[in-house]
Amino acid sequence: MAYDGQPVPFVGPLIEALLGNSVAPGGVMSSELYNVFGAMHGTIMVFMGIVPAAFAAFGNYVVPLQIGAVDMAFPRVNMASFWSFFLGCVIMTVSFFIPGGAAQAGWTSYSPLASVIPTDGQTYWLIGMIMLITSSLLGAVNFIVTIINLRAPGMTWLRMPFFVWAQFITAFLLLLAFPPLEAAGILQLMDRVIETSFFLPTGLVVGGQDLDVSGGGSPLLWQHLFWFLAHPEVYVLVLPAMGIVAEIISNNTRKPIWGYKYLVGSVVVLGFLAFIVWAHHMYMTGMGTVISAFFQTTTLIISIPSVIILTCLLISLWGGSIRFNTPMLFALAFLPMFGIGGLTGLPLGFNFSDVALHDSYYVIAHFHYVVAPGTIFAIFAGVYYWFPKMTGRIMNEFWGRVHFWGSLIFMNLIFMPMFAQGMAGMSRRMSDGGATYSLANPDNADITVGALDDTIMGLNVSISAAAWAMLIAQLPFIVNLFWSVKHGEKVKSDNPWQATTLEWETPTPPPHGNFTKEIKVYRDPYEYSVPGAKEDFTPQAQPAN
Amino acid sequence: MEIPYTVKPRPDTGLYNAKLGIWLFLASEVMLFGALFSSYVLLRVGAEPGTWSMGLMDIYVGAGNTMVLIASSMFVVLAWAQLKQGNLAGYKKWKWATIACAVLFLMVKWSYEWPSKFAHYDVWLNDAKVLHEKFEKGYYESASHIEPGGAEHGNTDAHGDDVEKYIEVIYTTRFFKESSDKSKTEFKKAWENGTLALSGHINSYEEAQIDFSITRWNADFGVSKADATKVLAKFSEDKVDELLQDGGELYQKTDYETAKLAEYALGQAGFTVALSVAGYETIKKHPWMWGTKRVNEDIGGKPRVKSLVFGLDETHHKEITLDVEDIKRLSAYEPKHSTFFGIYYTITGLHALHVFGGILVMLYNMLPIGLALWHKDREQYTNRIETFGLFWHFVDLVWIFLFPILYIL
Repeated sequence: MAYDGQPVPFVGPLIEALLGNSVAPGGVMSSELYNVFGAMHGTIMVFMGIVPAAFAAFGNYVVPLQIGAVDMAFPRVNMASFWSFFLGCVIMTVSFFIPGGAAQAGWTSYSPLASVIPTDGQTYWLIGMIMLITSSLLGAVNFIVTIINLRAPGMTWLRMPFFVWAQFITAFLLLLAFPPLEAAGILQLMDRVIETSFFLPTGLVVGGQDLDVSGGGSPLLWQHLFWFLAHPEVYVLVLPAMGIVAEIISNNTRKPIWGYKYLVGSVVVLGFLAFIVWAHHMYMTGMGTVISAFFQTTTLIISIPSVIILTCLLISLWGGSIRFNTPMLFALAFLPMFGIGGLTGLPLGFNFSDVALHDSYYVIAHFHYVVAPGTIFAIFAGVYYWFPKMTGRIMNEFWGRVHFWGSLIFMNLIFMPMFAQGMAGMSRRMSDGGATYSLANPDNADITVGALDDTIMGLNVSISAAAWAMLIAQLPFIVNLFWSVKHGEKVKSDNPWQATTLEWETPTPPPHGNFTKEIKVYRDPYEYSVPGAKEDFTPQAQPAN
Repeated sequence: MEIPYTVKPRPDTGLYNAKLGIWLFLASEVMLFGALFSSYVLLRVGAEPGTWSMGLMDIYVGAGNTMVLIASSMFVVLAWAQLKQGNLAGYKKWKWATIACAVLFLMVKWSYEWPSKFAHYDVWLNDAKVLHEKFEKGYYESASHIEPGGAEHGNTDAHGDDVEKYIEVIYTTRFFKESSDKSKTEFKKAWENGTLALSGHINSYEEAQIDFSITRWNADFGVSKADATKVLAKFSEDKVDELLQDGGELYQKTDYETAKLAEYALGQAGFTVALSVAGYETIKKHPWMWGTKRVNEDIGGKPRVKSLVFGLDETHHKEITLDVEDIKRLSAYEPKHSTFFGIYYTITGLHALHVFGGILVMLYNMLPIGLALWHKDREQYTNRIETFGLFWHFVDLVWIFLFPILYIL
């Protein structure tokens, strides 16, 4: 809807008022501001959105309850983790308002660009990231210790709900993958602040001038260190989501999750393999065919456990008596949406097809299918599912459905056309929507090499419209969330979903110390519809008779 | 509410929470330093021949510091053992010994190793052949003590033309350790291309003397003739009219400040002026090379120098004078000198930060506020010292890897 050179509709004046008219004169978005939004959208969504919501928030609340622990192992470390996160968020947010704006080099912050960009946004980004990384580190240590040491009596490893397993592996990914990015951040900070050359090659010319640095550095080094984190980060984003979905599907099909042990095995294997696939983001760097072949192989191997997990969740539906409540709708939508995201990733994993698709809108569509209708739907599902435990009230079902259908339809209208755009050759990170890159020249009809036709360019309009509609579709959720805290329908018991796991054994909401009685675990996590049992669910804490 | 296993180990895992936590923390630290070590390897392997410095560190000082840290690692265990036996006084004795070692380690870094590097320079020349004139008899023989294996000379009365050989010896030792076909080719290239660096100290400098002349006065500039005359009168008392009419010399060999002041004021009044100093342009082109604090101290905070008197390493600090226009680049042994010094300061700095953090924790544990726990719960306090000991061993271990890769290899 915002055409190149025209004011942004509705919010243009607001952007100008907030960020100053040097970056948005008359509400028109400058290329610099476009870059800022691109870089910070990725950063905020990944590091300040999904990780804190899916891992930290749900993890902190649900994990101790599900394993029968009184609290996290280190409450003070938890607090330190939060304040470090808070500080990181403040630094990131403040950077929008400094002269020149926030970081502009993409969430990947590739050097040399990120090292030589003259505005201070990148420096803020690096310092903010170091805070966020510290927060993740403290959180990860806390989660792992809690899960290993604070399990209730009888809660053996293979009696842990799948959500706890997913969080356990996620914590290891955060613990071990983030430090290399911290190292990379320190090195890039050195490059920017005291003019070292870790990522700056010899003979670099910027703006027609020799750069006054020693040179001798390696841009590829940044990419290796960055993706060593950023690929495991993908699993950090998606494993907790899989955990939430598994809980909800089992609960609402009223039968044990299919292949629990395969799920656990897959998630462990996924955790290991996540560390040796990172360079599939770097096929285009010219790092060599041998290395490309290695990472192509590992990348295809890692799709196996992912497919196993998805298949187990799918088969779990077979023969269940499914309750289609709002959390279940979101959990069910997760399966095909994540499936689309996963399957469209295969052509990117092969380096021959990646050559054509690299850095196109196809890539954007692919990873958004994984994290937007994938992970974010799972987060919605989790909110609707655990809301009664947190507040003692249920969120409004009707508006929940409105939210679900609106989100599902518009999410697909946003991202599905991007596959077509990407395959037509539209490159990402273009402030004019790809018009310049496509070499279409209105003044000279002969120059149309690689031009994107009007249909492809026109999809930008429908995508923008869908994005605004998507925003409107979230309003019922936001209102519902806050309204239900006070006015939602009260739950009739501490276990409104008739679930088996331990978080439903506590009063609602749980008191300080989580449990009011001694917790002992006698059985597997998903004992639904056990033949001969009185009810169709047998809680983990119910003694064998 | 009480969180279980804060003091006693959980029977099936055999660990209390904090011990498990510190091990996980150390695992992440391994990844942090591992990434930096990997960066070191990648940068070193990828470095152009003749750019990765070797053998610049003082191995004896480094080895001494290694011993200090190893001793401290031992003391930290002895301190914990005393606590286990309930002997607080013995614990304190060994703990102070640990702290003393840590402080000594940092002092060596802070007051000797790092500062001595900041005062040490490399200078790259536009054309290394100017050295032929600058070297005098005796320079070469004083360098004969560093003869690396296989370097073919023993000629002690080298003079003039042997400068190249002398520089080659230093170059070979520093970047290749031993003379080889490769080192010879690289040296030839460096000698021709000016990528060669001489190392030493800046002993003194000579300030630039600037001839200052007025080229002409521009009547269309927008300043009236009367005003221009007034301005000019501030700089020249006797020949104002002449200068306004025809231009001409205003100062001979004046200092930089006077010249720059006149240039500015006269420029504002519509005069075109000419400054005579050749080196001035060089300085402007590389403002950063004079910009470091240390350079400013060594050359009196005046970034307008005609020449430097450079005390060369490996010659008992014999001096040569280098004109500014011959200098391509000048840099102290600071982080931006090269990727070698960059990674050196980054890793040792991060390690020193860990040592410093360790000292703070140890001091906290020794103060009444930390010791209060001992009087409340002896076992928990002992555990706390044990987990700290694990951290301290890790810090020690990082250094044990750092020492060989930075000092010896």
